[in-house]
Order: sequence, then structure tokens, then C-alpha cells
Amino acid sequence: MALSREAYRELEGIVGKENISDDPALLDCYRYPLSHTAIHIGPYYRVYTPRGAAVLLPGSAEEVQGIVKLCNKYRVKFKPSSTFWSAWGFPLEDDTIQLDMRRMDRILEIDDKNNFAVVEPHVIGATLQAEAMKVGLNTHIHGPGASCSCLASATALGGLGPDTLYMGHHNENLLGVEWVMPDGEVLRVGSVGSGLGWFCCDGPGPSLKGLVRGMIGTNGAMGVFTKCAIKLYPWPGPAPLPVEGKPPAYKAVLPDNFRVYTLGFPAWKAWADSCYLIFDAGIGYVAHRQFSMFGRDLKGAMVRILSDPTKTLSDIEELLKDPEVQKMTEDMKRDYQIVLAGMTPGDIEWQDKALDKILEETGGWKVKAMLEPDLYNWSLLYMIRLGHKNLNLVYGGGYDGCFGLGGTPDFGASGEPPRVEQATAFKVEWEKKGNVVACGGDAMMGGIGGMGGGGHALWENFTHFDPADKASTEGTFEFFNATDKYGMEKGFGPGMEKMNDYARWTDGKTTPKEIRDRILGAAAQPEAFRYQRKFKETFNPNDLGDGYYRTLDDPIE
Amino acid sequence: MALKEELAGIVSSENVFDDPETLDAYSRDFSFVKPVKPRVVVKPGSADEVQALVRWANQTATPLVPVSSGPPRFHGDTVPGVPGAVIVDLSGMKKVMRIDRRNRVAMVEPGVTYSELQPELAREGLRLTTPLLPRASKSVVASLLEREPTLIPRQLWASLDPLRCNEIIWGDGHKLVTGDAGNWSSFEEAWERKQAPAGATGPGQADFYRFVSAAQGSMGIVTWASVKCEILPALHKLFFVPAQRPDDLLDFTYQLLKFRFADELLLLNNASLAAILGNGADHIKALMKELPPWVVLVGIAGRSILPEERVAYQEKDIADIAGKFGQQLVSEIPGAGSDEVLKAILNPSREPYWKLDLKGGYQDILFLTTLNRTPEFIKTMNSVAEASGYPASDIGVYIQPLHQGANVHCEFILPFDRDNPEEATRMQQLLTIASEELIEQGAFFSRPYGIWADLAYGRDAQTTMVLKKLKGIFDPNNVMNPGKLCF
Repeated sequence: MALSREAYRELEGIVGKENISDDPALLDCYRYPLSHTAIHIGPYYRVYTPRGAAVLLPGSAEEVQGIVKLCNKYRVKFKPSSTFWSAWGFPLEDDTIQLDMRRMDRILEIDDKNNFAVVEPHVIGATLQAEAMKVGLNTHIHGPGASCSCLASATALGGLGPDTLYMGHHNENLLGVEWVMPDGEVLRVGSVGSGLGWFCCDGPGPSLKGLVRGMIGTNGAMGVFTKCAIKLYPWPGPAPLPVEGKPPAYKAVLPDNFRVYTLGFPAWKAWADSCYLIFDAGIGYVAHRQFSMFGRDLKGAMVRILSDPTKTLSDIEELLKDPEVQKMTEDMKRDYQIVLAGMTPGDIEWQDKALDKILEETGGWKVKAMLEPDLYNWSLLYMIRLGHKNLNLVYGGGYDGCFGLGGTPDFGASGEPPRVEQATAFKVEWEKKGNVVACGGDAMMGGIGGMGGGGHALWENFTHFDPADKASTEGTFEFFNATDKYGMEKGFGPGMEKMNDYARWTDGKTTPKEIRDRILGAAAQPEAFRYQRKFKETFNPNDLGDGYYRTLDDPIE
Repeated sequence: MALKEELAGIVSSENVFDDPETLDAYSRDFSFVKPVKPRVVVKPGSADEVQALVRWANQTATPLVPVSSGPPRFHGDTVPGVPGAVIVDLSGMKKVMRIDRRNRVAMVEPGVTYSELQPELAREGLRLTTPLLPRASKSVVASLLEREPTLIPRQLWASLDPLRCNEIIWGDGHKLVTGDAGNWSSFEEAWERKQAPAGATGPGQADFYRFVSAAQGSMGIVTWASVKCEILPALHKLFFVPAQRPDDLLDFTYQLLKFRFADELLLLNNASLAAILGNGADHIKALMKELPPWVVLVGIAGRSILPEERVAYQEKDIADIAGKFGQQLVSEIPGAGSDEVLKAILNPSREPYWKLDLKGGYQDILFLTTLNRTPEFIKTMNSVAEASGYPASDIGVYIQPLHQGANVHCEFILPFDRDNPEEATRMQQLLTIASEELIEQGAFFSRPYGIWADLAYGRDAQTTMVLKKLKGIFDPNNVMNPGKLCF
């Protein structure tokens, strides 16, 4: 049912004429092609997310509250999104009101004593980082990169990133939230709720932060988060970042209290050992298996291309013949990148020595080619800013991650052969079919410290494909079906490739109930989704969110 | 069937107690919370028994009050809020279920105390960061669920660290495992895959374990929890930065927090440090005179990788930072040496509990704020105390940076003679007046025991309303410790 004129006029009265539209052409701009990097569903060739009823650009929490109350009055679903990361940010049903939060883009406060920032939804990682650096601070930038919303990461989505080892998971960093709940009531979570500032997200008493989010957030399906406070971390470098170089080969030359290394290891056991030793030592500012996303066989060549503005993808075959590139690629077979940042000269010296000791104990090495100044400074900026997310799409215009192997570093690195090699061999066979980019099977990217201080690692196997090509898109879909089956058979646990199947189905709309119930019911503890159903009934009585909120209707066992 | 027999059918008769001495012991604690005698005390030995008890409570509309730590207790949270309650004493659930050195996690039942856990961890080369001198009978799980502050702020990535996974029996009788372990089908399968209960979040899109934190047992009962441990230091030193005023120490402390330097990092006044080090009232009083008015304790540990070098560079750099702010890093202060203090703060309290030693009783006032605001709260506390005739010089102050410095636990410890009715009455009045003034000034009573519940929830109507709805989901019959918080 389309939005009534009466409802439209009332909404217009809240945000103003210039901040609302139901022009079909504009509404189609707010649809997402599910062939293109929909992230953990599909890809579905030439399928789009549903068309909204109207797009609104609210400018304040008060306006958001007014909109949500009207949605309750007219029983219209709404879907907020800040930076629209993949299909997650788009509706599951026709005639949903879409809230584009881009007008709410202010950094409201940076407290450089107590190390936190208060931000609105459309503040992105790069902006907050630039501002924080001016006062000697830095912000965690989550996996989707510096162009994405800090608030969305901290409240509504994931929150993991390359710097999590030092700068925490955004779940950990969340210090306060202003939340327009689905029924239109405003809840301020933590100390801010008592009007005492944004320094603590828990209390008084049982922590309502637990309702805001868990391992992941509610994906815009349970109201709108309009402000949040996130913890900041020290930045012992210059501001602004001294970026130089010709695009896309940007680099940063930083003072001597910074180091960036690509570390290689002789075996996966040694790789995992090094992770544990790094956690135990407490060193590292950023630690991530980053360039492996270009594939085990191609990453050396790709790193050369991306760090040299005179080169393009067409140079790849020539580069692959270069013995130096071949050596570099071999050295980086089992690798990750690490940035060390010293708060004092003594600190960086000790961290460097500790790292050497770890390499000595594990038989690991610093990849020499990555120490060349151009590559060194390029990778340093890459890791610190995480501003190169476009490169995820560099091969074919589309990518998605599969497997995942989330958990301890030992989880992916153990098994016979190691699970990471099992996943690699499986993907290599599919690469031979010609529908996904043949990059060597192991394009597994992920943090080695998936929570503050370490403890988790992630192995998201990037699968590159061409979303404009039917065979490539459908071949990738087939591959993900096979991956899902293989992972379950091998005991890897649920893979990332179908993580959102419970919510959105092949037509781009809500997954049919019987399929959704089967998927969620197969979880280790479906009770969690039965409790979430109760949360929804209680706090979202008119069911104005969408199926991204995981619920099961049957009673708790 | 008689109550006792019904309960004996769940936990066996030897674990059901209704003798007057036992009931009296659970009817009161050291707080001003009104004594209420329970009907029975039961001591379950397993999660299944706990679950059966909660289900029975729902069927019979019987209030349950979970207790994990041994006496003495101080905050009124384990004193029944209503008559007719059954105390569920978990102190007999003492299994250390697993210690995983490589992933630095341990799984423990709620009856395991710090005194019991630390030696077992030490055998594996690990230790758990603790609250400041917990009493010997203090349950690890209860302490972490109550969000008690621990000593090493740089290791507190999350506000509830080092608490990670939990098995919860909710008030509705259902069981849920939270965190990483909530995604597993079985422990055996997880161990075979080399997984560990290291991550706290989830399962799903809620952090369920946060709902039982600071809940005073009003949402459910945790039957095991995993905790993140640290490497047992190979070398561990303690230093002091003394000062005349707390204000003089803030910039130095902020700098260490920002750099994430130092391990143990806390601020104490002379009364607190004297209570920690002293042995008996006379000794404590003498120490109070000798010790500097304020001190930051700075622990530096070297662990498995280059321990000596780490301690050496941090010692030098921290001394430089102290100098930059006009302070001095020293290993001795009048009245205290570093070895003695380090030993004290790394271990549970001697007997009697350190806060009781001066006058036989104490009242604490504890809340969260930011470090820069602590001097104004100290000033208020002192002036309210003096106005009430309580000597400000007796007030112990403990400021513990948390969550890597985003906030601090601020605690005032007011010793008094609880056997003296007049003194107890004056203290109760002082507690009320000071709490009201402090909350007006901006103190965040995030763990609202006793009278603080009304004060805290009175300032946040929306949170109160949402909490009540949440309580209705997890404990629809209100059997879990009714009469506490806003329930």
C-alpha cells in the first residue's frame, strides 16, 4: 500500500519539503542491485531491493522521533541507513519509508581528556579520524572502511576492523546511545540517560546496551540511533596525516615511532603461534591479514600495481612473471600486516624487539619487498586509514566473502590439513570453472585481533566476480551454495556467504517464513531468537522494522 | 508437601536449611537495608538443580534470592526484599571447569572465589585481575556480574571485562548460554575445533549477559562464566606518585591512561591506603598520619616477552611523565614500601576485611564519573561529612580508572562503629544526605544498591520503564529477588 497523501503531508511537515520525496526516479536511486556485493546473500543477477514509499532526510533526533511516531500512526514500515553499506541498509518490503541520515553528520563533541567522541549517524570514519588526530586521538575504523558511518558500526551493524586489536571492537567502544525506539519513545542508554554525560553505557543496574546490539546490531530493524558516544584511542603521529603520492597510490611518511610490516610464516601453526604471542605481549596498533584479499597467487603483483600509479590491471600477467614478484608472493603466502605505534621512543623500541623475538620463536619473517619505501609508506597509510575499500571491487566490480572461520586463531590454522588450506583447495576447484576470479583460492582477509587485546581471528575468503555478467554472478551464487554445504559438512560452522539468507530472499524481499524459521531454528540456541521475538513484541508493537531482526515465533523450549 | 521436602526433592535434604541461625545469617548484612528473614536456604550443586529451583519458584510464586559470595556482605542485595523468600546459595558450586592457557580464558562456577581461582591459574601461568583486596569469600562470578572495578584499566576493553561467556538460568526458568559459547552445539566439539569461550557478545543481536550485570540477581542466575585472564607476570614492580591534593595527580594519570602505560593504576588517599596496610585500628590511625595525603599506585609488569626490558622502559618513561607534570615516581613513601603494597593489592584481604578494621563497620558510597570531576565530588563528600559531624579525615577514597580511562569508579569508605546505635543512625543520615548531594552534582550510581536505586531511577524514567519491560520478559512472575532496583 502506497503512502497516503495525508501521511506524506504530515511527514513533509516534519522534515520540510526539500527533505522528502516520493518521486519514482529518486526512489529507484534508493534501491540496491543484489548482483553487486550485497554482502552475505546472493548474488542475485538483476534483482533489486524493493522500492520505498518515500525517502526522508531527517535533520535531528526530534524529527526522527516525529517520523517514527507517524509511522506508528499509519502503520508504515521504516528503514534508516546512514552510509548504506550493501543491501543491509535497504528495505525488505515495498512501500517502506527510507530514512537517509546524511543530514545528521555532526561530530558533537570530542572529549580529549576522557577519550571519546559523540557523533551523529552520518559521521564517517575518515572525518572522525581527521578531527580526532588534531587532538592526538584516533578512532577505530571498522571493516567496511573509512567512508562508512561510525554510529552504524557501533550500534547497528558489526564493528570489527583491522585495528580492533588496539582500538577495540565498536561494541566495546560504545559508551552511550540516543535511540528513537520503534514505538517512538526516546531512550538514552547509560550515563547520558541520567543527564550525566556520555562516559558509560551500562546502568543504572542491568545494562540496556544489551538491547541495543549483540555480536551484531539490529540492522536498522529496531528503531533509529540518532547519537552515540564512542571511545577514542591515542594517535602518536602528526595531524593531518601527511598524505602524498599520485592516485591511487597514496602514501604517508610517518615519524620513526611508527612501523608497518608484512609478516610471513613457514606454516599455519607458526602463523597462529605468532598471533597468540602478539596478544600476550600486548603489542600492535593495527594487525590484519589485508592484502591477501587479492588472492594468494596475485597479491604480490596487485600490491605492485596499486602502489605504482603508472601500472594498471593489464600489467598483472607481466608482473606475475617477474621473479621478484614471485618471491614476494611466496613470502606472503601465510601472512598478515602489522602496524606498531610507539607512544615514546622506548615504547616503539620495545615493541619492535618483542616482535623480533616473536618472529624468532615462530620462524616468521618480515617480507623484505614490503620494506621498500614506496610499499612501506603505501601500506602504512592503507592500514591506518582503511581508505581503500574500493579495491575490494578491483578485479571484476563485485566481491563477497565466504567461509569466515571466525574464532580463535587456532580454529582456522588447525585441522588436517589446516582448515584454511581446506577452504583454499575447495575454492581453487571452483575458480577453474571460470566464474570467479582465479586468484589462488586463499583470498582470506581478516583481523588477527577480532576483539580488543586479541583473542579472535577471522578468515573471510573474498570471492571476486563480475556483477554485470550473468554467468559470473550466477556462478558465484552456485559457488556460495557449494561453500555453505562444504563448510557445514566439514564442521566449519555456518559460513558468512549466506549470513543474511534468513532476512532477504532471491526476489530481494523478505525470506519466506518457513525458510527463515528453518535457518534460525538450526542455530545452536534458537532460544535467543525467541527472546528477540519478545523484545520485538514489547518495543516494536506495530512491527515497523523488518526481517533483519532475527525472531522465531514458537515458544521458548 | 511441605516446603522443605519439596526443595529437598530438588537439591537433596542435606542442602536445605531452615534452622534459625542460618536464616538469621541471611536475613541481614552490614548495610542499612531492612532485615527480612528468608523461609529457607538451599545450596544447589548444579545448573540443573538451579533451573529446577527457578521453575519451582515460578510454579509456587516463591521469591528467590541468589547468593554466591560468603559473608560478610555489605550492600543489601542479598538480603530478601520481601518475606517468604528462598535463598539460593551458590557458594557450593566450586568447579573450575576449564583453564585454557593459550586463549587465556577460564570457566568457573559461581562459588569459586578469587582465593581459590588464583592458585589454579598460577599453575597454568595465568592470573585474573581482581577488585581491590576482595574479601577471601568473594565469588569471582558475582564480583564481575556486579561490575566491581578491577585494577588494570588498560586491559578493560569492554566495560564488563574480564567477564566473557555466561550460562544464565533466567527468571522464567529457561537457560541461555551467552557469548562465543552460545554459538556452540557442545563443548567437546568446540574444544576439538580449538575454539575458546573468549568472546562476550551475543548470541544474536542482543548482549544478553548485560541484562544480568548489576542486576542484583533480579533477572536470573549465572551458573558458570568464562573470564579473560592475563599472563602471570615474570617481573612485577609497584611505584608511587604521592601528592598533597588529588588534583595534582590527574594529568599524570590521564597521560598514563592515554598511552596505556602501567598495569595496575589507581588513586588512593591516606585513609584508604592505611586501611589496606594496617593491622588493627591503632596501626591504621598511625599510618594515616604517616602516609602522604594522596598517592597513585602504578604497577608495571613484565610478562612472557622480554619482561625486564618492558619494565625498564615503562619505569623510565612513566618517571619522565611524572616529572613532566611536576610529580615524582618513587618506590617508597613514608609509611609504605612498594613490595608490601604490591603484595597487598594482588591478594584478597586479610581478616578482618580491610574496610572493617578501623571501626568494625563501614558504609561505602560508590559511583561512576570521569577522572577530571573526582576532586569536586571529594570536596562535596568531605563537606557533607563535616557538616554531619563525621571527620572527613577518616573517609577513605578509592578512585579506579575503568574501561581504559573512559570513566572512573569513585568510592568513599566511611568507617563507623555499627555496634553504637547513635553512630549508626548518624551514618545512615549521612549516607542519605551525601548520596543525594552527590547525585545532584552528577554522580552516576550505575550499581544502585539500597537507597541509590530510587535516586538513580528517579533521574531516568525512560530507562526505568524499559528495564521493567525487560524484567517482564525474563522474569514474568517476578520471582527473582523482588524488591530490588526498580522491580
